[in-house]
Amino acid sequence: MFAYPFLFIAIFFESFVLVTLLSKPARDARGRAPVNINDISTLPSVAVIVPCWNEAATVAATCDSLLALDYPKEKLEVILVNDGSTDSTREAMSRFEGNPQVRIIHKENGGKHTALNAGIAITDAEFIGCLDADSFVEPNALREIIPCFADPQVGAVTAAMSVHQPKNLLQHMQNADYIFGITLRHAIASINGLYVTPGPFSFYRRTVIDKLGGFRYGHQTEDMEMALRIQRAGYGIENAPRARVYTKAPSTLTKLVKQRTRWTTGFIRNVLGEYRGLVGNRQYGALGVLMLPTALIAIASGIGLFFLMIFELARQTLSALQIRAGIPLSYSLLPHGSFSMFYFPASFYVLLGVVTILASFSLITIGKRVSKTPGSLALGLVSYTLLYGFVVPLWLLRATADVTLGKHRGWK
Amino acid sequence: MSLVTRNALIALGITVILAGTVALTIDYLNRARISELSNIENQISIDTLSLDTQFSLLEAAPCDSAASSTELTGELTDLGNRLSYAEDQLGTNNAQVTQLKQQYSLLEIRDYLITKQLSAACGTRPVTVLYFYSNAGDCSDCDKAGYALSYLRNTYPALRVYSFDYNLDLGALKTFITISKVKDSLPAFVINGKTSYGFTSLGVLEKQFPKGALSTTTPQS
Repeated sequence: MFAYPFLFIAIFFESFVLVTLLSKPARDARGRAPVNINDISTLPSVAVIVPCWNEAATVAATCDSLLALDYPKEKLEVILVNDGSTDSTREAMSRFEGNPQVRIIHKENGGKHTALNAGIAITDAEFIGCLDADSFVEPNALREIIPCFADPQVGAVTAAMSVHQPKNLLQHMQNADYIFGITLRHAIASINGLYVTPGPFSFYRRTVIDKLGGFRYGHQTEDMEMALRIQRAGYGIENAPRARVYTKAPSTLTKLVKQRTRWTTGFIRNVLGEYRGLVGNRQYGALGVLMLPTALIAIASGIGLFFLMIFELARQTLSALQIRAGIPLSYSLLPHGSFSMFYFPASFYVLLGVVTILASFSLITIGKRVSKTPGSLALGLVSYTLLYGFVVPLWLLRATADVTLGKHRGWK
Repeated sequence: MSLVTRNALIALGITVILAGTVALTIDYLNRARISELSNIENQISIDTLSLDTQFSLLEAAPCDSAASSTELTGELTDLGNRLSYAEDQLGTNNAQVTQLKQQYSLLEIRDYLITKQLSAACGTRPVTVLYFYSNAGDCSDCDKAGYALSYLRNTYPALRVYSFDYNLDLGALKTFITISKVKDSLPAFVINGKTSYGFTSLGVLEKQFPKGALSTTTPQS
């Protein structure tokens, strides 16, 4: 019975996203044409900052993808910021020395927010973008981003992220999760409910940054802190669903748990700390009354359902062992009875779970179609179904424990 | 009304419809289960009557029809498994399940009596186990005993196990319990007429059986 309210909330939220996708603001967003780059004089100047800390392996490819953006060269600059890397990031960056579009900053390590602020400090561009040094953009991505700033109240715009060349099941699972995020971000942006402007290719209006101040530490989630600050100041955060950006996803469970723990602790510390006043506050619309409370409930339900699952598993295993004690293994280890539809376990819990998973599949498929993300989703959907429910509690528990105990972990 | 409120209300409506559809689907599946059980029960009922009639007709040579009785026991076992599953799904207080259990118990008693008659007429010695259990929460060892009997039935196909819910409200069953002199100390077993109570282990239960009874062929006198 404990699980029913959470499943009900999950289905409600997924239904809400689907309905919002069909509403006029989201339809209008999908119909938005990319900016015309023929008339250079009307195009805004743009700077993309790439903060790097030990990113020698990928920074060159990241910079190459930025330089290949379909945008006039005189209006686009790339700022590579070496935040005190100890690997060969400096050498990797040196390849771009002399390129008129690229500026390179080497500084002492101070954290991602300081690297971003260092980049902001040397540019006068009207729009400032960020791109993590392990991410790569599609050539048309910037042209999709710029029209989203048409409304002067829009302070930031997010892109459509997916995983760069997923190889193992864990990365395919993350790819499905990221594409789910594309749908979610697209729908929720249409009602101004976003609370994070992710590192991969989010853009900010320069005047808004000047007014609100630069990036802050933000409990290791400077992108979330900035988004919440923008929302609190009354600006909007838009989304460009066809501005595709690909990011490297953790390849091992340990790395994934570490990354997601950082995101989750950052969320909890920001939302229950400085931005507590936004939660449940009608003044902040969908963000205040729906998104932030739902995200907090999702954390609680993830942990609750995990413990419930462990408890049920232990109880049933113990019961099965007790019943089978003393019976030869040749009998007790084998399944018995006929495989008939009669024995189909159609409980309310199981069928609600199936509905939740099917709705997730729909949202993932919609995300892929809307963003026109290439590649097959088959492995992603399989791994998402089989793995996601089991791995999410790992970082939820770790993050909650860290917040409760006041523990702070390193970035990588 | 704001867009968010409107969408939230629509989403709530969709959620209620989906949850309702799930509830109706489960109800439909459970009805289908009950219906399937009824069909099986009807078939067994016909088989039993047929066997009964056959036995009456062939009183002069009843042993000719003995083989069909074993076949019926297999069907009874399958019905018992399905009924037990339906009881888990629908609850012990479900009226339809209770009714089916009553019919099932009657079939079991009838089959048991026919088996006894055949045994007396033909001189065979089938090993029969009357197993009395309770699922009212007052029999902690009943699950273990039931599983052990399933194992024995699976290992020794000639074994004839008849399971009865001791607390079932059925006149014939109450009379059967009285005649069999089974007390309400459960689980209880009547193995070839010898009564024992409680379950500790498979080994102890096996010792209750007559010597040589647990073999893979039907013992003959």
